[in-house]
Amino acid sequence: MFKLNLKIALRNLWKNKGFSLINIGGLAIGLACCLMLMLYVNYEWSYDKQYKNLDHIYLAKLNMKFNGNIASTGAVPNKLAAAALEEIPGIKNAARMAHTNGNRLFSRDQNKFKLKAEYVDPSFIKILSYNFLMGNANTALNDPNSIIITSSTAKKLFGNVDPIGQSVKWDNLKDLKISAVIEDMPKNQSIQFDVLHPWAFFDQINPNDKKNGWGSITCGTLFELRDNVSLASINDLLKNFIVNKEPELKTYLYQPFLFPFKKNHLYNQFENGKVAGGKIDEVKLFAFLAICVLFIACINYMNLSTARSEKRAREVGVRKALGSARGSLMGQFMLESILLSFLAMMIAFALLEISLPYFNNLLAIHIQINYASVLFWTVLVGVALITGFLAGSYPAFYLSSFIPVKVLKGFKGNTGTLSFRRLLVVLQFTLSICMIISAIVVYDQIQFLKNKPLGFEQNNMVQLDLEGELRNPSKLELFKTQLKNSGAIISASEFAQQFTNGGSITGDISWPGKPAGDNSIISYRSTGFDFSNTIGAKIVAGRDFSPKFTADTSTSVMLNETAVKHMNLKNPVGTIITWADNPPLKVVGVIKDYFNEDIGKKVEPTIYYYNVKKSNVLLMRLNANQSLSTSIGNIKNISQQLNPAYPAQITFVNNGMEEKLQSERLLSVLSNIFGGFAIFISCLGLLGLALYMAEQRSKEISIRKVLGANLGDILVLLNKDFLKLVVISNIIAMPIAYILVNNWLQKYDYKTDINYLPFLLAIVASLCIAVLTVSLQTFKVAKANAIDALKYE
Amino acid sequence: MMIELKNIEKYYANKGVKSYILRHVTTSIKQGEFVSIMGPSGAGKSTLLNILGMLEEPTYGEYHFMGEDITAMNERKRIELYRNHIGFVFQAYHLIDEMTVAENIEAPLLYKKIPGAERKSRIADVLDRFNMVAKKDLFPNQLSGGQQQLVGIARALVAQPSIILADEPTGNLQSAQAEQIMDLFKKLNKEENITILQVTHSEKNALYGNRMLTIEDGVVKEDVQIK
Repeated sequence: MFKLNLKIALRNLWKNKGFSLINIGGLAIGLACCLMLMLYVNYEWSYDKQYKNLDHIYLAKLNMKFNGNIASTGAVPNKLAAAALEEIPGIKNAARMAHTNGNRLFSRDQNKFKLKAEYVDPSFIKILSYNFLMGNANTALNDPNSIIITSSTAKKLFGNVDPIGQSVKWDNLKDLKISAVIEDMPKNQSIQFDVLHPWAFFDQINPNDKKNGWGSITCGTLFELRDNVSLASINDLLKNFIVNKEPELKTYLYQPFLFPFKKNHLYNQFENGKVAGGKIDEVKLFAFLAICVLFIACINYMNLSTARSEKRAREVGVRKALGSARGSLMGQFMLESILLSFLAMMIAFALLEISLPYFNNLLAIHIQINYASVLFWTVLVGVALITGFLAGSYPAFYLSSFIPVKVLKGFKGNTGTLSFRRLLVVLQFTLSICMIISAIVVYDQIQFLKNKPLGFEQNNMVQLDLEGELRNPSKLELFKTQLKNSGAIISASEFAQQFTNGGSITGDISWPGKPAGDNSIISYRSTGFDFSNTIGAKIVAGRDFSPKFTADTSTSVMLNETAVKHMNLKNPVGTIITWADNPPLKVVGVIKDYFNEDIGKKVEPTIYYYNVKKSNVLLMRLNANQSLSTSIGNIKNISQQLNPAYPAQITFVNNGMEEKLQSERLLSVLSNIFGGFAIFISCLGLLGLALYMAEQRSKEISIRKVLGANLGDILVLLNKDFLKLVVISNIIAMPIAYILVNNWLQKYDYKTDINYLPFLLAIVASLCIAVLTVSLQTFKVAKANAIDALKYE
Repeated sequence: MMIELKNIEKYYANKGVKSYILRHVTTSIKQGEFVSIMGPSGAGKSTLLNILGMLEEPTYGEYHFMGEDITAMNERKRIELYRNHIGFVFQAYHLIDEMTVAENIEAPLLYKKIPGAERKSRIADVLDRFNMVAKKDLFPNQLSGGQQQLVGIARALVAQPSIILADEPTGNLQSAQAEQIMDLFKKLNKEENITILQVTHSEKNALYGNRMLTIEDGVVKEDVQIK
């Protein structure tokens, strides 16, 4: 029976090639979209899930209060790990981890690389299960001058030489010994590094950090809890842990708590000290999108299958008259749809393989299909089965319900189910229209952010890490002068860190008229001379730092506009402000707000002070009259002469700015692609309905034609019905889409206005596409010879 | 007694107005009879046949098939009984277009869950008897009307039913082919003692049988034995 059914199913597919093509094609595209999204969701979902003891690993977070707002940060006092381990019984292990800004130079002979290093307590490698390829995991971090490296780092530095016991030069200063090599970590882990230093080494290079009080938060901390210890009880003990040690911190709250490490990647947003989503929202959205696309494809199949009900009805009647039970008929239809969904799955799989590299490239992620994984195949087969069942369920129930006597007498399916199918089509289109509108609005927002004046000139601006010889102020001056003389740059200024990164904040600044109890957070950045010229920002009042004024190197500061507004200063220039225990500082200039950290967010109040020593980066304005490659070549040459130990790594500021829009671009690409597919598949659904209608109404149309209706009349008559559905879908979709995009835009301080244009575009697009699709079919019906349809009655 | 009908009624209620198809039909059919149901269009012949074939249910009345009360029976048992005892032959043949001749004939055996080896031998047997061995792999649309109807009858016979219900089996055929089919029915009835019930318009076809039921306006008008 099964064999025969299978044979008949295949024959059916082959006989109706066009139909099968639409059906399998639609389903395959839907499945491919769905699989792609599921791979992405899985990629995000499996972040950090590789660690063995994950359920017991927690990350310390700290709730702090500023001006009534509670902020949660992953930075905690460096004393917390040891003290908590000693005083709180449920904690098994604790490890601090810290990294310096920027990568450090590691060199071995001529192999020089800037590598990402992490400084950790020895228990770090006990808490997180790294796979040691070489060396002893127990002793690897015992010696302050030993390091653990990843296998790809080992390859880079040593090639095929056994790295254990070999030494590398750190920052051109000190020899460090390789104690172990670990396997490269998967890309979807949140702690990424090339080199692991023992904490003792961190203490060596930052001798003052040891003396830090409880108030300074400088490192992250991992905790491992013992079995059967509840998180709540530990958090209760931790709540007042810091405040008990240092009661004056109470004004800033200073409540540490443990957060499950496995949630760290997906739940990264905190509001009022409680977790408030984060990346998980995006993942959920994509999972929802995956289900929607698949659902639309399934609806499609249902629609197309039932559209052929007349052809199948007779077969059902005969089979029933031959003694088939309803169950076995349903089985047959199910079999057909499962067969189809497996065929579609194969095509979808091929599509997926072809498009995956492109997709990875587009979104700058690294997703690979793991062919060895049982889970992958299970999911693949599972999705195909579920799709088959889902898509086949309605046709199976509907078609097998025919009463044989009626169908054998020439019944053509009943109109009650037509309205059900109309509902399905409306649903399809509603989803698709929502996607189209969202895609347009996301695109608008990206364009808006791209075109928003940044307040500084991002092109022709490069940055270079200050290290080695360049940390020496006189050498640095020489470097700058030589660069200017060579014509490579027109100005340069030191800056606290990479220009597009965030930076340090403080709550310690006071200004005239600051309300009591106001502990606002102000960002601070160190700069050199000529800062505003170099970045191309405007000075609104006063002046930039200049070597002409000796006070500029000690007691002058600049504010940005937001800071002036925040401090409510009427005449900012000349105002005296205080910052911690520094001498009183005088504001000499106000710089116009510029957006270098988050394009969509408001600018933070920022204070600028002159300090070359504390600056880690040199910002340079390239000479626009000289070609880019010549300028870069000049910079590299001069750097090579003055600072031979360090290869010059020049980064372009505009690349950094481009990366800021990464998550928006991802959303835009996904909603564009999947919105497009959704519309396409929905059109196939509409085509199915049109086919069905053509069968249903062929007699009516023939009679109308016999009565003298012309082609135009009939086309209007037929298309009207479908357009009604699309219009209804639009009416339903508009408010939903509006709410959706409005919600999404909430997270931006600067956002595009939602105007009628995306909505209008969606209406016009959906109507046009629908008319085109339906006309393909209705035209055929309207042109058909009337007698053919009437003869068989 | 094979079939016993008592006071069978069938009507459709439309806005409170009942339109009767069958009224007070009471009759019985014995094993081995060849009954022709005659009557003008719309008299209720086909409805009666469908009720007998359990494809339709009477609105009212009792129907005993081989001593069992059909109207009180549940769906599964009815299908079971139906599979084992009833073969249908249609005016429009109603072969399944997607199946070959052999597969069409096999279909009822599949539903009866007859094992594969026996299925094969039965199909071979029937094909042989109907001289259609050469055509077994053709599809219905490659056959003439008469050949299709032969397949239809073969399909009805292969399950070895005790009764064949035929709704105008020759209605779509030319007279020569029609005669061939009717001869076949007569032979089956005589030699294999299969009960046959046919609905027909044609007096000539009715004479192949040994009993004639005439229905007019849903009522049995005449019931005569033919010598």
